[in-house]
Amino acid sequence: MEIKLFITILFSTIFINNYVLSQTLGICPFLGVSKKTDSAAGMGFAVIFVMTLASVITYFIYKYILIPFSITYLRTIAFILVIASIVQLVEMAINKLSPSLYRALGIFLPLITTNCAVLGVAVLNVDSGFITKEFGLLMTIVQGFGAGVGFLLALMLMSGIRERLETADIPFNLRGMPISFIIAGLLSLAFLGFAGMSF
Amino acid sequence: MKDIIKPAAVLAAVTFCASLLLATVFAVTKERIAFLDSEAEKNALAIVLPGYSITGTAKTKDNKIYWVGEKTENGETINGFAFISESPGYSGTIRCMIGVDSNMNILGISILKQTETPGLGARSVEIASKNTFWDVITGSAVDEGIQFPWFQQQFAGLNGNKTVQVVKNGDWTPEMASDLVSQNAVSAITGATITSKAVVDCIHKGISEYNDIIKNSNK
Amino acid sequence: MSIKKEFLKGLVEKNPVMVLGIGLCPALAVTTSVSNALWMMIATTFVLTCSNVLVSLVKDYIPSHIRIPVFITIIAAFVTVVEITLKAYQPEVYTSLGIFIPLIVVNCIILGRAEEFASRNGVFISIIDALGMGIGFGLTLTILAFFRETLGANKLFGYTLIPGFKPAGMMAIAPGAFITLGLMLWAMNRIMVSRKHKK
Repeated sequence: MEIKLFITILFSTIFINNYVLSQTLGICPFLGVSKKTDSAAGMGFAVIFVMTLASVITYFIYKYILIPFSITYLRTIAFILVIASIVQLVEMAINKLSPSLYRALGIFLPLITTNCAVLGVAVLNVDSGFITKEFGLLMTIVQGFGAGVGFLLALMLMSGIRERLETADIPFNLRGMPISFIIAGLLSLAFLGFAGMSF
Repeated sequence: MKDIIKPAAVLAAVTFCASLLLATVFAVTKERIAFLDSEAEKNALAIVLPGYSITGTAKTKDNKIYWVGEKTENGETINGFAFISESPGYSGTIRCMIGVDSNMNILGISILKQTETPGLGARSVEIASKNTFWDVITGSAVDEGIQFPWFQQQFAGLNGNKTVQVVKNGDWTPEMASDLVSQNAVSAITGATITSKAVVDCIHKGISEYNDIIKNSNK
Repeated sequence: MSIKKEFLKGLVEKNPVMVLGIGLCPALAVTTSVSNALWMMIATTFVLTCSNVLVSLVKDYIPSHIRIPVFITIIAAFVTVVEITLKAYQPEVYTSLGIFIPLIVVNCIILGRAEEFASRNGVFISIIDALGMGIGFGLTLTILAFFRETLGANKLFGYTLIPGFKPAGMMAIAPGAFITLGLMLWAMNRIMVSRKHKK
């Protein structure tokens, strides 16, 4: 029974409510890092990692600090500082533990702080009432992980298309950003097909 | 050592000032927000229990609040009940308040919170004004008085013990009302069938939870 | 450094959305109606002005390696002020902008201006810069919202435009946002190119 709920949350955050393509969160890195498939994959995995970690930590902060002291209005300031510190810590940890992984992910990590999808998932965890529910921690983890996977999926699709576009003959004024937005629009239209699926 | 202390002190000072500022703003606006919340609750109760006066609230076992209201009709006192239910919508949770009488006829519903797509699912809280944009600029707009969202209006009078059907007849008009009530159905919002169904689910869930409460209290 | 030049650069030559390609998430997400776009402009311009003023005042006292966390804290504080104030005095705006109010924190425009302009310039000129950038951002949003609201909902400021006309619902959702912004960028490129030819 609970498994079904988690699958629903996971499926919904990856496909139905894809953070990039249907909620338009995290557009800056989506367009900025989707020129090459390799860097898109690197960014995607870094985001999955940070989002999952940020979901867990903001869960504890919200439930055990902000709610008991009834200072939930400090939510935004607390979450953004936590995310910024997580990103810093992760960067230092990866640098020490695995230099090869750092070379692959390193340059993307500082960009993640201002990725609004990360703060978005933390705020949405609170808004959808997961924090106070039973199995809330698992729900936030699943939602954070799913949002990250959805981001990776959107980024991979976009970079695959953009790599092929490099050899295409595009009208001069459409090159660069305009055509990327139109492609994103078409991808987003395709993702509408997932709407209404349920378990 | 000094390299650590100074930045830490600066950061702490900045965070302290920020929290102080926010605490002040929060203290100033606290009463106003609490007032708005209670107004919102009152307005919702007035919609879901029209004509009833609220006589009290009660709590269920799992600490959910429900309201009891009563009104006098033909010399008899009749009771109405209102409760809040939540269920997942197309994006995010839909929370609505439902009012029923003792025969489980729906008196009215009010969507308290929704985060559906603007222009589609969010039309569940839209109020259909007959005034067009041109009427408003040219000053020929008619004052239509207080209006209710048409999607929520069509739930009044349906039987809560039976399944509420969702049909696709396009946007609701008062002419459709009698036909829909006889089918125990509501007309879905065009392009937002999922949201429409989610609201109906929310109501079914609320009513079945409420039925459980009654059964338990009768034992 | 003329005041007029600093103000106008945000509107045209360094327009955050159209030229720099930042602040895209709110640009795509809240432009379903013109009034939402205008409120977003007010909120963002307020936060941007306050943070620019404060950053330019305290810039000499902040050790440079911790400036980013300090800036983020300042921005988050003002965003929360906006959040609480809107909740108390404009509850409808608060619900319709929803999660995008806390997400003003991660709007790259604000951190970008603090880092690039306010931390290097005086108070007065920073205010001018903030107003120019905020209004430039807001005007783009308003134009985008105008197309989306009229075509997607057949409405303007919440009132029906042509009774009986069936609007194109796609314009109101994410795909419509992407494609409209893509076409706007295309149109802008077209105008820029023809201007260059004239010179």
